[in-house]
Amino acid sequence: MSRITLYTVRKEFGSGGDKILAVEDIDLEIRDGEFLVLVGPSGCGKTTTLRCIAGLEDVTSGRITFGDRDVTGLRARERDVAMVFQNYALYPHMDVRRNLGFGLKLSTKLPAAEINQQVEDVAEMLGIEELLGQKPKELSGGQQQRVALGRAIIRDPEAFLMDEPLSNLDAKLRSQMRTELQTLQHELDVTTVYVTHDQTEAMAMGDRIAVMNEGTLQQVGTAEEVYRDPVNEFVADFIGSPSINVFDATVDGARLDGPGDFSYHLSETDPVDGLRTVRVGIRPEDIQLVDDGIELGVNVLEPMGNENFLYATLGEQEATARIDPTNRPQPGESVSFAFDEAALYLFDPETGASLKTKRDGVVPTTPDSIPNREGVESTTGTGPDTGSNDDQIEETVE
Amino acid sequence: MREETRREAVWQFLTYGFILLGAVTTLVPLYWIFVASTLEESEFLSSTDPRLIPGDSFLGNFEALRARENVQFVGRVGEMTQYVDLGPVYFAYDFWNLWNMGAIESSIFVAGVYTILSLLLCSMAGFAFAKYDFRFKQPIFYAILATLILPIQLLVIPLFLLMSQIGLTNSYWAIILPWLANPLGIFLMRQNMRSIPDALLESARMDGATEFQLYYKIALPTMKSSLAALSIILFLFQWNLFLFPLVILDQGKYTIPVAINQLVGAQRVYYDQIMVAATLSIIPIFILFLFLQKQFVSGILAGSVKE
Amino acid sequence: MATRDSLPGPDPSVRDRLRFARQSVGELVPTPGEGIVGYVFLLPAFVLFGVFLAFPIIYTFYLSFFRFNGVGNDTLLWIDTGFFSYRLTSIADLEFVGLANYTTMFSDSLFHQALFNTTFILVVQVPLMVALALLFAVALDASFVRLRGVFRTVLALPVSANLVAYSTVFLLMMQDAGLVNYILTSLGLPAIPWLTSSFWSRITIVGAVTWRWTGYNMIILLAGLQNIPQQLYEAAEIDGATRIQKFRYVTVPQLRPVLLFVFVTSTIGTFKLFSEPVIINGGGAPLDSTITIVQYIYQAAFIDFRLGYASALTYVLIAIVSVLSAIQLNVGGDSDA
Repeated sequence: MSRITLYTVRKEFGSGGDKILAVEDIDLEIRDGEFLVLVGPSGCGKTTTLRCIAGLEDVTSGRITFGDRDVTGLRARERDVAMVFQNYALYPHMDVRRNLGFGLKLSTKLPAAEINQQVEDVAEMLGIEELLGQKPKELSGGQQQRVALGRAIIRDPEAFLMDEPLSNLDAKLRSQMRTELQTLQHELDVTTVYVTHDQTEAMAMGDRIAVMNEGTLQQVGTAEEVYRDPVNEFVADFIGSPSINVFDATVDGARLDGPGDFSYHLSETDPVDGLRTVRVGIRPEDIQLVDDGIELGVNVLEPMGNENFLYATLGEQEATARIDPTNRPQPGESVSFAFDEAALYLFDPETGASLKTKRDGVVPTTPDSIPNREGVESTTGTGPDTGSNDDQIEETVE
Repeated sequence: MREETRREAVWQFLTYGFILLGAVTTLVPLYWIFVASTLEESEFLSSTDPRLIPGDSFLGNFEALRARENVQFVGRVGEMTQYVDLGPVYFAYDFWNLWNMGAIESSIFVAGVYTILSLLLCSMAGFAFAKYDFRFKQPIFYAILATLILPIQLLVIPLFLLMSQIGLTNSYWAIILPWLANPLGIFLMRQNMRSIPDALLESARMDGATEFQLYYKIALPTMKSSLAALSIILFLFQWNLFLFPLVILDQGKYTIPVAINQLVGAQRVYYDQIMVAATLSIIPIFILFLFLQKQFVSGILAGSVKE
Repeated sequence: MATRDSLPGPDPSVRDRLRFARQSVGELVPTPGEGIVGYVFLLPAFVLFGVFLAFPIIYTFYLSFFRFNGVGNDTLLWIDTGFFSYRLTSIADLEFVGLANYTTMFSDSLFHQALFNTTFILVVQVPLMVALALLFAVALDASFVRLRGVFRTVLALPVSANLVAYSTVFLLMMQDAGLVNYILTSLGLPAIPWLTSSFWSRITIVGAVTWRWTGYNMIILLAGLQNIPQQLYEAAEIDGATRIQKFRYVTVPQLRPVLLFVFVTSTIGTFKLFSEPVIINGGGAPLDSTITIVQYIYQAAFIDFRLGYASALTYVLIAIVSVLSAIQLNVGGDSDA
């Protein structure tokens, strides 16, 4: 069990002209016992980053340490980490017992009886004692998932690495396994890096979330931090479902003019000083339907039961709103909306960097409020410390 | 409607007739091999009244075949000293005074050793091509693939010279070594091993397996059925080799095809003995075929896999 | 469920000790780097491939420009350390003759005869066998046929027959006083000189090869047939196609890549014919009239010891096979090769 630190880790595939930059100079610290979720759209480099930590890929440059141990040059089998794969990767020719014991048999000098004892202990812990004699193809998806977890647990590794381990399960089993996995991780208290493309899963599971895009690390923080205080438009857009509404607006002093009849007077003009245009973001849940406000043309209304999703047009722009289930505007109708300035996001039109984020008085959980199991001082990586909320930024998109 | 049914019946009748005709044509020579081996030469080689039911001369013919001086088809208790000469491994097994290998034992021994070694080499090479990246991988692979269209018996001339050069004439290695790196085998193993998920190998790597353990603890066990099919292809290939053993082996070491050829070309040809030899070389493989049908068929199909 | 005590094998502690020993040895062996592992796995096969396949192919070409005067004895390299002495001699004693080996072929009537015989067998045997194999495959694929597995096994049995052994059996069956002539005469037909007439002896070889390989090709075609989507036949049925039309417009086009494969491999197989003509001709047919190319190469090389000429013949054969395969692939497979 240990802290995992990445120092400007870079990974390029191929060589010469068709070189692909998969991971660009990432600095990241994963604390001892932490559950860190790497999240991002497909192709963002999250899996590659995980595989670099696992030792399945060599890093092109940079260093990786586990605690004080530099593991950069070590192979996967020398790093003492365990990985759970998306398709579980159970050995098809071995029964569950041998699948579980394989790692101990290869990497330790434990006698067979001892290994067998541990296999049975882990099987009991996961509730799969009955399956020990079966081959993987005789198991259901959920059972295979448990065996894959057991195979990681039994090794008592320095870290668990998980690559979309729940994505092959059906929705119901997935949410059940989500909780189970979290409980297990807290019990075992093993540093865990978990990769997913599903931001809901990321927010639900991670002690902290690391958002990646195009090979760079965008932001690391708790679920609330990345939601309320994203460092840039990408993070704001990626986190939250349905996605944030973003559109261009021209700046005229304190007035913002957007698509359709969108017009708004900022009470606080600092963020937009000196800008001609700005990107305006409003989360769907911050749109309040009012009698007199900015006009929206209703396209579709999706009743969700506890709320309604309203898909509408603002001028030429698509916009989404989450509204009360009793409110049922019909397609073709027009509605008006308003919002609080505190809930407004503003982004730089050139760089996408956040100019203003949600400031509605709710104090998000900070990394420091996460139980810190080994008492390591809670700096977060080697990023610039400006003392503000964006000290999580290691890299931003240009 | 009646017309339709009648046509259908005629069609079915014709189809069955055709299949049965084929089956009979296939089986007649096989039946006859067996029958003839149990008869005296004069009984089955008669233009007027050949016997078509089994007789009781099989053991007599077999004994006569065993007693042949110029061709030793079946092994016999060692009278003269016999050697197993595999180049570096060279030993006389007369110290047991047990058995002089005849053509049957030679063929089984050579085909068996060849099959095992070639499976090993082909699967290793296939594993490399399927699961690793290295420089010149594609050119090497295509070079190996290209030799598939060559009739390999045509390499007999340079191989003969090469074997004389390295002193392997009249050694079993001479007929084992040249085709160990079997292009078809390498190709098949590569195709099949591509289906092993990378995650499976990586999972084993994380579990602490070395690269070689990946090969023999993960790749080989998951490839069992492909290996079975390939082993049949390889065994039959070696079992049927004729031209090169004929050129390179001396009398004491003949394999079945060369020995039968020797029987046919002898001064006085004993057809009844030849039929015993043919029975012994064909019937066991037929029985094997009946038991391992599935593997034989997938072996044939594996051999016809296109890229 | 297996328990700890019921694990297979000897005393667990013995197995443990073995495993620990293996692990310790494993730790001593250096692990090759990323780019190297592939080479390590490939190395044994590659070395053997290089020495016993690539080298002979190249050396044959080289040899085809020389006259062979005997096995070489010139010392190329001699290492003598007292304990150990190694002498590398040249492979062969050769005399450069330029293209003479190739020009000789133009006036070599026996070579022309061999070429003719092989072509005759090719033209008669390959279409006959492929047609038979296709008919058997289609018949066995018919939905009403029972015992399909049994028939398939029976028809495929000859695949496992030892080449030389079955050739010998055909030699015996085709004797003037053999089984086939007995059947013919019992049916009131005239006996046929299967082995002594030059025409009939070629037919005998065609028959033998067809007997041996039809089942093999049938299995390949049958697998191809079973890959044709059933909906295509149903669509044709709805369009009112007859049995023959379905065969012509669905089966044959869908089976084209497989048929092509069968044609190409059978053609290459015909050029490789050796065991059958050697055994069956050796049994009495007029040699020249049935000699095949490989048989002629064998004779030139190992009976007359004209290795240079035989090498030249080998390259001509390789050229013919390559050209024919290329033509078949071009004619037969415009989309898929």
